[in-house]
Amino acid sequence: MPELDRRDFLKQATRALLSISGLLGLGGLARFFYFQTEPPSQSVFDLGPATAYAVGTRTLLPDVPAVLIHNENGFSALSLVCTHLGCTVESEASELVCPCHGSLFDEQGNVVRGPASKPLPTLQIETTAEGNLQLFLT
Amino acid sequence: MRPNFFHHLHPPTIPAQQSRWRYTLGAGGTAVFLLFVLAITGMLEMFYYTPTPEQAALSVQTISYHVPLGGLVRNTHYWSAQLLMIVMAAHLIRVVMTGAYRSPRRFNYLLGLVLFVAVVLLNFTGYILRWDQGIQWALVVGTNLLKTIPVAGDALYVMLIGGSQPGPATLIRFYAWHIFGLGLLVVILTGWHIFRVRRDGGIAVPPPRLREDDARITRFELVQREVLAMILITAILFILAIFFPAPIDAPIEQLTTMANDASAPWFFLWVQQMLKWGDPFVWGIVVPLVVMLILALIPYVLPQAQDAELGRWFPKSNRLARLVLIGISLLVIVLTLLALLPGS
Amino acid sequence: MHNVRRMTALASVLLLLSVLLVWFADSRRPQSQALTPRMTGEEEYCIACHTDLPEISPSHPVEIFGCVTCHGGERLALDADLAHSTMRGGNNPSNLSVVEQSCGGSDCHSGTVEEERDHIQRVMTSVQATYTGAIAHIRYTFGAQPDQVAHYGIFNVRDTEVTTSTGVQSLEAFDPSQETNPSIQTFGETCLKCHLSAEPPEGAAFDRLTGCAACHTPDVDSFPEGNVHQLTTAIPYTQCNTCHNRGNYDLRSMDFVERDDNPTDRFHDYYQPIAQFTQCEWTLDCIDCHTRSEAMGDGDIHSNQSEIQYVQCRTCHGTLDELPLTHTIASEDDIALRMAFLNPVVNLSVGDTVLVTEQGEPLWNTRVLSDGTYELVGKATGQVFSFSPVMGTQCTQNADEQESSYCHVCHAVDR
Repeated sequence: MPELDRRDFLKQATRALLSISGLLGLGGLARFFYFQTEPPSQSVFDLGPATAYAVGTRTLLPDVPAVLIHNENGFSALSLVCTHLGCTVESEASELVCPCHGSLFDEQGNVVRGPASKPLPTLQIETTAEGNLQLFLT
Repeated sequence: MRPNFFHHLHPPTIPAQQSRWRYTLGAGGTAVFLLFVLAITGMLEMFYYTPTPEQAALSVQTISYHVPLGGLVRNTHYWSAQLLMIVMAAHLIRVVMTGAYRSPRRFNYLLGLVLFVAVVLLNFTGYILRWDQGIQWALVVGTNLLKTIPVAGDALYVMLIGGSQPGPATLIRFYAWHIFGLGLLVVILTGWHIFRVRRDGGIAVPPPRLREDDARITRFELVQREVLAMILITAILFILAIFFPAPIDAPIEQLTTMANDASAPWFFLWVQQMLKWGDPFVWGIVVPLVVMLILALIPYVLPQAQDAELGRWFPKSNRLARLVLIGISLLVIVLTLLALLPGS
Repeated sequence: MHNVRRMTALASVLLLLSVLLVWFADSRRPQSQALTPRMTGEEEYCIACHTDLPEISPSHPVEIFGCVTCHGGERLALDADLAHSTMRGGNNPSNLSVVEQSCGGSDCHSGTVEEERDHIQRVMTSVQATYTGAIAHIRYTFGAQPDQVAHYGIFNVRDTEVTTSTGVQSLEAFDPSQETNPSIQTFGETCLKCHLSAEPPEGAAFDRLTGCAACHTPDVDSFPEGNVHQLTTAIPYTQCNTCHNRGNYDLRSMDFVERDDNPTDRFHDYYQPIAQFTQCEWTLDCIDCHTRSEAMGDGDIHSNQSEIQYVQCRTCHGTLDELPLTHTIASEDDIALRMAFLNPVVNLSVGDTVLVTEQGEPLWNTRVLSDGTYELVGKATGQVFSFSPVMGTQCTQNADEQESSYCHVCHAVDR
């Protein structure tokens, strides 16, 4: 009967309209939560004069966290953030071990044992005109 | 005797056979009481807790050491939360092992599972609120896990922690989730869960013609038993609170500095153990979700208990469901033990 | 039903017991005595347990500084493990690994020369901490370096501003494992116990701590558990001797042989038999002559201790042709007055004239008297000594031969 069909249609239409409103509401909630009150974290670190780091040394930079390596090829930096789930890896003998899930990296940051699958990233190091070292996180 | 308000929250009579401790384990009622204790002690903690990174751990120290009976309040809150997890697990096991989740209680079973997940999240957010060196890595790992979700991961991460790295916004968000987001959800779901128990016909028993024993107890007797349970639980909580204080650690100096303890809270140790095996998305998110899905599907896909088998332990017909639950429980227990092994 | 009633009654007893237990436990909580030091304004509960500690020094009153400024730790915790978990340097916050946060915190002893706050900077570059002399000398002797200029220290350190002619720009950390000569390697393994950050070997007669406390916390061995809580600038010679008269080197085995006696007679037992002394060298305390820039460094990195020996016999006695250098205190802010205030053995005031080194550092415990003679007050003893200038005496010493060995020829006392 057309009468019933119309009722049916009204019901379906109402449902659809309400669902759209509901979905929009959920989207609004997501947008609400997506706001970031903090400024993005520091991505450039000033390490002071390059002469403070002798050739052949590895210097721990706990704020980054990273290790600054100075060898015959110049300066380089290795991130100490585990590529698995982000814990800070610790030096153990000549290896780097993650205390959270046991990933093991060699001195160059290559994976020796999982669960991490990616090597520790190398961070960019630049020397300023005044001879100061700068480390870039990205 | 004239029933008072509390009596009226209960059905007039319930079957005697199924009202025994050894059948129900008293788990559902205990869980409700523990929730009540958690609400009270949590509210008291709010009078001193300061949800900022600089002050959080210090205010926890103030509650623990200086507020008169503050240590008791915090330790009771802690122990109620731990007991609640255990009691809820026991409740789930009882329901499966007695086949009580059978239709028409399937929906209520699902409600119970959602409650269980909500309480686990409450426990985790509460743990993070300490904001001391003991929780540092659980926070980093737990939030980084979200990032591993394909497509939506990064957005979910920002929505949860409120920035590109854990900070003041994260703490206030966990605080809000702990107290209102999840707390309110649990209160509402608990009300619904209890309503559904009554709506679904109370405790699961065989239909009248198949019943061996028709004896029933009154709501007066039921309430009396509940009072007994409440007194015992309160005493146990106090004793635990006095002799085994809740964990506490020095404030977080810097989120990138390695703290001494890198282990997850005990109820996530099994996940942490799996995370050692590889891809964090698979082991940290997919597997736990699959476990929950299997649990949720038990009433819908596996053979159920027969009418006559209701109201007692280990009905023959739902054997498969019981084996599945035993399998999952063993898995979680073994993984937890593995994580606790020294040198693991 | 009756059964439940009986159980409930029993449970009530249990509950009451547990509540009583709660009250009991609460009443046994340490009476939280808080101290709110004026410097931080944050309350500290350390004194809830540490009730009977003596004041560390008159310059560091506990009401102003509290405990946490120096020691770190969790100021609110009443649980010993937690309270002590974040302490700096364990029992000794002046250990050089943490000294910048403890003694140097709030810019107290860390800062610029102009503010007279550069104590830590001076100590970190001084030979007491870098051990440059020994390292350079051994490496030179065994052919690892062509001269005796320091290239290595115990740790790497830089000097931002070299002010003396012998100052070195920077040092790299000495790593014995990088050396090829086995004697230098052995030296590295056995002989690096004498600098300020090294834990001294066992030996009751030679107890000292590390960092600032190695000198400023004397008499550690007189406290049974080493829990001495004292800082002083009146440092007796016995404290200097915990390092400087501790034993002898054995260059064949490249080892240090500790003395095992417990010397009591300073003149006869203490020093090596071949050493020569004038009267003042064994009656005064070391710090009566050796100034703070000699002992704590002058801010430059030196290759050898002889480069910063600024006080000689002539600093106080002058030569035949010259009287010793003097300085008349002109203002209340004069460094001589400030130092005399810290160790009030003399009554110094504006207008007084004291002796100074060639670098202009005042010997604030001396004074020029009106009759042209001098007076010195022992910094650790308070004893008063008077002495005269060389000028006008029968001394026949050449003007360009003024090292102590020349004076010893006539003036050494008979041992």
